[in-house]
Amino acid sequence: MATRSIETKALESIDERSAEAVMADAFERFAADQIAISFSGAEDIVLIDIAAKIRPDVQVFSLDTGRLHPETYRFIERVRDHYDIRIDLLMPDAQDVQDLVSRKGLFSFYRDGHQECCSIRKIKPLRRHLAALDAWITGQRRDQSITRTDVPLEQDDAAFSTIDHRVVKFNPLASWTSADVWAYIRANEVPYNPLHDAGFMSIGCEPCTRPVGPHEHERNGRWWWEEAAGKECGLHAQNVRAVKFVGHSGR
Amino acid sequence: MAVRSITFVKKILATGEPCGKCRDVEERLTAGKHWAAIDRVVVADERDSNSEGMRLAAELGVERAPFFVVQTGTKTITYTVFLKFVKEVLEAANETDSAQLLLAENPGLDLI
Repeated sequence: MATRSIETKALESIDERSAEAVMADAFERFAADQIAISFSGAEDIVLIDIAAKIRPDVQVFSLDTGRLHPETYRFIERVRDHYDIRIDLLMPDAQDVQDLVSRKGLFSFYRDGHQECCSIRKIKPLRRHLAALDAWITGQRRDQSITRTDVPLEQDDAAFSTIDHRVVKFNPLASWTSADVWAYIRANEVPYNPLHDAGFMSIGCEPCTRPVGPHEHERNGRWWWEEAAGKECGLHAQNVRAVKFVGHSGR
Repeated sequence: MAVRSITFVKKILATGEPCGKCRDVEERLTAGKHWAAIDRVVVADERDSNSEGMRLAAELGVERAPFFVVQTGTKTITYTVFLKFVKEVLEAANETDSAQLLLAENPGLDLI
């Protein structure tokens, strides 16, 4: 993969391995039953495509919140068939969901914010699953967030590690832009979620996702009714850096 | 957290002494900082079959004390095993709160 030239001094010391190298390293260090890819049904399909060339039997899981778009469910099945892989759908605890809906109805997030619903439908199942893994791979990228640009290629996952259980998180696409992702998808004829053709840059649950305009940040398509700064606890000066990528010779 | 009511039923023996197991469970609830989750404490007095706890036990078909009655809306679940009650009711509620805290501290997780 061609080297990307980066002009930001703060980024000079970071890990600059390619996405392929990060994933190869991850699979070298963790056995098949210890590591898994988190697949959201969106453009993180790139992770599965890269992994298929390195470890065809890679574990993959998706968080089935119960509120995904029909297109996303169909896409997950298409990915399962295309790569001949098993995809574990992680579902929230039925009682948790029933309690939430009974108390607050089906659209409480529009009023109360998305945290409670996401905690029940995504975070708790994710935490249960990661308790049995030593590492996971995500499609998180620096350009996905308006306020934070410090997503590393590899990190100790402080969110899901415990005193007795260390979890490593790999973000192989951290330094990729959305344009890089789509260049890869097109160059490698990777299947993708048809919602992207309808203007969805970021894809989550149906009630909380909308298409964005050509000059909007992709995060504007998620939980748009909430304050942009409030989505990420305001601006953190130490994490916001001006990043300018100069030149890109493809991969 | 679900809106619910938790009743703790403890026994007074025919001797007038509190049941040892009930006392032990009460101490564990207090030490584990779960006491605040208990909405009502009801006594099943073996000397009085009409005591509230005895009537509740008869109504629910419970033959052992202590026991917990958890009402969520129209649903009532009775727990006669303390550890099961702790795991399924007290700790389950705390899990959602801690998941929300985890999300608040790691905002990018909601994009996963």
